[in-house]
Amino acid sequence: MKALAWIGGLAWFGVDWARSSLSCRPPAGKTLEEAYRIGVQSLPVLLTISFFVGTNLALQGYNAFVPLGGQRLVGMFVAMAGVRELAPLIAAAMVAAKAGTEMASQIAVMRTREQIDALEVMAVNPYWFLVTPRLYGIILVMPALTLIAVFVTLVSSFLVSVFQLGLNPATFLEFARGSTRMRDIFTGEVKALVFALIICFVSCYCGFVSEKGPEGVGKATNQAVVVSCILCVTFNYLVSQVLYG
Amino acid sequence: MTDLLARIGHFGVFAGRVAWRVVTPPWNFGDFFRHAWIVSLRCLGPVIAVTFPFGMVIGLQGLAIFNMFGAQRLLPSLISVAVLRELSPVLASVLVAAQAGSSYAAELGSMRIKEELDATEIMAVDSLRWHVAPRVAALILACPILNTLGDVAGLAGGYTMSVLIKGEPGGVFMANLWGFTHAEDLLAGLIKTSIFGAIIGLIACYHGFYTTGGAAGVGRAVNDTVVRATLTFFAANYIITSAMFA
Repeated sequence: MKALAWIGGLAWFGVDWARSSLSCRPPAGKTLEEAYRIGVQSLPVLLTISFFVGTNLALQGYNAFVPLGGQRLVGMFVAMAGVRELAPLIAAAMVAAKAGTEMASQIAVMRTREQIDALEVMAVNPYWFLVTPRLYGIILVMPALTLIAVFVTLVSSFLVSVFQLGLNPATFLEFARGSTRMRDIFTGEVKALVFALIICFVSCYCGFVSEKGPEGVGKATNQAVVVSCILCVTFNYLVSQVLYG
Repeated sequence: MTDLLARIGHFGVFAGRVAWRVVTPPWNFGDFFRHAWIVSLRCLGPVIAVTFPFGMVIGLQGLAIFNMFGAQRLLPSLISVAVLRELSPVLASVLVAAQAGSSYAAELGSMRIKEELDATEIMAVDSLRWHVAPRVAALILACPILNTLGDVAGLAGGYTMSVLIKGEPGGVFMANLWGFTHAEDLLAGLIKTSIFGAIIGLIACYHGFYTTGGAAGVGRAVNDTVVRATLTFFAANYIITSAMFA
């Protein structure tokens, strides 16, 4: 029951934002600043995680296909699983963990210090001032981050396959290229946009409705990352079902 | 660079002191069981909500691939390999880091901010033994439990996709489910996740224990916890997987 009320609140939050801010010009300087911050801050984390996702994909693919005698299939497995599903999802999870938690805790701290009330008193719309730059910023950088994640995943699994598992590099590349199409990349970008919307709205909403005080900030941050992860995985399934099903 | 090294060393000392208090008596059993119970309950919903759709996605994509070769009967074997060896341990641990790790950082952080930890020390109670060790031990126990439930949910997701939605025969699915997987795979998942649990617990408690800077500091501690715990156990995952399977 509480969860339903929470989801309803989230939906109203989105509607409120759209009604009050969709028609206004976004604050351009702040949007670029947020885009820079989200993109650049998440990048090192994203690079490391996608590197290790790629290594493990190659290891497990190798182990899974050895009984079938199809070691050549590793390239195909890595390309399909990495490009279609794992890289976009991992990028989203890391952006949720890094940028999303930061949005939630910043806004929750502002709520604790009653700065959001102060904004309203000054007749500044807090949705426009706080949510809009973060939303447009994350929409700008998320597709790029996803592309980078795809690339790093493929590179690291290539390295593991060739240098650790001793597969033939030419075969790996041939099978990897043969099993990805431009369409898979576009699907990844569509997913990235959906995840960007989810992460931004969920994190900002958690910050807006947080209780005051340090526990409230901690709880809002915690809630933001858990709920974004769950919604991202669920919507990942829905998008895959629509585009591949 | 030296700053980073100093932090890593500081964390190492902290980890050593906590590890010593986890293995030597007296143990704080009450808090240990309470934390393990709370973590399992609070992470149960998120873990199932993430592994179930992921099992469905593997079913969807795997079916697309195996349809090309006419080898649909291999699908359940692939699902069980993917879920048991890799996906359920990793996803369950990501969720534990996000849910339990961040709540530990927030709890200990706000205890630090409100000077409750100092008060415990003044009363000659060892705060590492009393507050930190049971939390770390609780995650070492709770992570494998959640991993097992994640296994079940992931396989159920795969079954839902391929049998109930795509209409593959259910008997074939069940007959091929354990084609490539053995008891060792399940055991490997359990060992992996208890190591991940220890990593998550130590990093979360470290950030919470040394929080500075008021409410904003608590937010930052939670943020750092989720990111660094996830990074560290992904790296550990590669090393463990290489050692176990390759």
